[in-house]
Amino acid sequence: MKALTGNRLGDGEAVFLGRAGDWVPRFADAELFEDEAAALAAEAHAKSQITVVVDPYLIDVIPSDDAWAPLSFRERVRALGPTNKPEHGKKTEGGEAIEALLHAHGAARSKGRVELIRRK
Amino acid sequence: MYRYDAIDKEMLADRVAEFREQCARRLAGELTEDQFKRIRLMNGLYLQLHAYMLRIAIPYGALTSKQLRKLGYIAKTYDKGYGHFTTRTNIQMHWIKLKDAPDILDHLAEVGMHAIQTSGNDIRNITADPHAGANAEEADDPRVWAEVVRQWSTFHPEFSFLPRKFKIAVTGSPQDRAATKVYDIGLRIHRNEGGELGFEVMVGGGLGRKPYLGPTIREHLPARSLLSYLQAILRVYNRYGRRDDIWKARIKMLVASLGAEGFAREVEAEWEATDQAKVDLPDEELARIRAAFAPRDFQSLPATSASFEAAKKADPAFARFCRNNVKPHKIPGYAIVDVSLKKPGETPGDCQHWQMDIVADIGERYSMDEIRVSYEQNLILPHVKLDDLHAVWKALAAGELATPNRGLVTDIIACPGLDYCALANARAIPIAQQIALKFTDPAKAELIGELGVKISGCINACGHHHVGTIGILGVDKKGEEFYQVTLGGSPEANATLGQVLGPALPAAKVADAVEHMVDVYLRERRDGERFLDTFRRTGVAPFKEAVYADAH
Amino acid sequence: MPTLIRWTGQRGEPMEDPFTAVADEDFIPRGDVIISLQRFHNEGQRLLAEGRKVGVRIEANEQVEDIAADLPNIAVVALAFPKFLQGQPYSSARILRERYRYQGEIRAVGDVLREQAGFMIRCGFDVFAPADGASPAEWTHVAHRFRHVYQRAEDGREPAFEERKAERVS
Repeated sequence: MKALTGNRLGDGEAVFLGRAGDWVPRFADAELFEDEAAALAAEAHAKSQITVVVDPYLIDVIPSDDAWAPLSFRERVRALGPTNKPEHGKKTEGGEAIEALLHAHGAARSKGRVELIRRK
Repeated sequence: MYRYDAIDKEMLADRVAEFREQCARRLAGELTEDQFKRIRLMNGLYLQLHAYMLRIAIPYGALTSKQLRKLGYIAKTYDKGYGHFTTRTNIQMHWIKLKDAPDILDHLAEVGMHAIQTSGNDIRNITADPHAGANAEEADDPRVWAEVVRQWSTFHPEFSFLPRKFKIAVTGSPQDRAATKVYDIGLRIHRNEGGELGFEVMVGGGLGRKPYLGPTIREHLPARSLLSYLQAILRVYNRYGRRDDIWKARIKMLVASLGAEGFAREVEAEWEATDQAKVDLPDEELARIRAAFAPRDFQSLPATSASFEAAKKADPAFARFCRNNVKPHKIPGYAIVDVSLKKPGETPGDCQHWQMDIVADIGERYSMDEIRVSYEQNLILPHVKLDDLHAVWKALAAGELATPNRGLVTDIIACPGLDYCALANARAIPIAQQIALKFTDPAKAELIGELGVKISGCINACGHHHVGTIGILGVDKKGEEFYQVTLGGSPEANATLGQVLGPALPAAKVADAVEHMVDVYLRERRDGERFLDTFRRTGVAPFKEAVYADAH
Repeated sequence: MPTLIRWTGQRGEPMEDPFTAVADEDFIPRGDVIISLQRFHNEGQRLLAEGRKVGVRIEANEQVEDIAADLPNIAVVALAFPKFLQGQPYSSARILRERYRYQGEIRAVGDVLREQAGFMIRCGFDVFAPADGASPAEWTHVAHRFRHVYQRAEDGREPAFEERKAERVS
């Protein structure tokens, strides 16, 4: 299963191709592609949207909790925000979707992050 | 301090206007990302994991209070309220919008600051000894030459599309606080037997995937020939540096392939054929720049300060701060003060906007309006009177800026790593935090003594791990964060590159490993040995044994 | 004939190309031609003897030193940018102007984009084959972006330190 991601041109925010063909900041709202041809077609189209999104690329996603999460740790950092600052980035939204990302494969690392962060 | 004159200011204004236009063209789709990326990088704007990152230049690490306050203003207004000081003495803002970048550059230009050539395949910020103008051993103030080279390299029409980035460091002192041996060009100012000022020129040093210590290609270059000689070096590199493989494109590869002597011959031949008078600065311009860095009007003070001595006696915490974070100044009655941005548990090198304001106020009032940035990601107040030290310390402490750990195990250098950087394989900041939290007791840290822990999240080595006493390199092992540990690196005059300890360690084991190695050092050390000295005597064996015994 | 931009020293002007660029494997037509370095070594003298104007195209990894002796007879040196970010042609242009005092046309070909117009002009290029459809007016605009320069180059502009000296004197 795949999703499509990139950075928004105007503000650099990590975004995902949404179900309505728009670009959304929440991984939970991302369109998921089971069909490889559809995924590649979406990527090709995204690459033509040069005033909207920069360097779009496909990422692998896996099930987590009742939802989905990027397979790679790097992509989960993009979907959550930097692990050294609990108050910065997308994770501050909280909720089930964020929990699903935190619990994804590599949960041991996520737990490590929670232990490390000291709140001021 | 060099103050930008009308010409310098118009340079900045024209650059911002140019970039504003280029941004508009990009936003309108008239420039592709490929075409714009180069331009964007030449204006210090990266696209990273979460947002754009703006790398603001701090030429040779020198700031006035007004400039530091402006950085705080930008952090607060356009970012998330903080900035990150880097190992190239620049500052990074990690949450910037492209749309805001031209306005930010306008604000910076108001105080003579910019983001020119802080990225891209061009000549980057020239770094210098952060104790310039305050230390007794320097043959000349390296900032003079750093400013000379800054102007010459700015918008250089021939050298803006090099094979790769180009970094120059200058020291005026035999004690090398600018790590000149690990730069594309390292310059050491000295006087020859005839008393003439000149540069030892080292070329081809660098960290990264293949670290090198730069060989000396010229022992003594007369100072006034600096620019024509640099032109020769850069031209040889621009013409013959490899462009087919990004990992082989730095000048260190060209020097290695030609050999130091072969490379030197190419440079000398090019230099001989150059119309040097066309490139080198006339004496009046050199004098004008030199005048900007003239010795400050220091007061005539006794070498010791009774109030300072009394304060140390009365307050052990202050005494500890003075032992670790205060260095001798060339002028009696003055000192150089290290402001630590390494409070254990915090992100190394990060500074909140309100902390910037505090340091700016202290710098203005107590350090003759000078603040420096060191490549160790700390700040420095270069000209503090001993009489004022206690007040300075209290003011710093109020800003959580008085951690007495300069050069100690908790004074960790760490790149932003996978938390921010698109290039990283692993995170560096949490590793730094975990290690530091094992040594929060300042007495323990002081007992351990000088120990440079340096952490890079990838092979690009922005955390300088190769020259760490303990170097830590993040690697991606089957999708998991692992860390390669090296020992015995040093950026000093007798620089060495670290030696690999053993197999890479998982993230959870790194801080423990550091703790084990510190225990080994404390057990093995002999009179006055630093960790580095003990390692150089014992070799890697006892450390390896301690770390991997635990891993089994 | 494709339109080029010629830099007059003050502005860009459209210029028709009197030269035909001829690939190595192609037959050389009549008239003025631009040929590769290799082809110039093989056939250059013959072509010049025919009374044509001959130009030489130098690739980014080729050295202008190889035509130094022939420069008085070469009407155009076309320096090729395979990608705009390959900077060797900037050095080649400067060496031609400064070291060999080349007076002929130095033409920028390949991935030639208006955003680099200023750098190219300063290095001594005077004719441009823009790859991005830039007009002479757009070229002129970019070339005039900076009121000052810090270094001497090949465009004769007074560097900042000379301006400062003049100011002090006045």
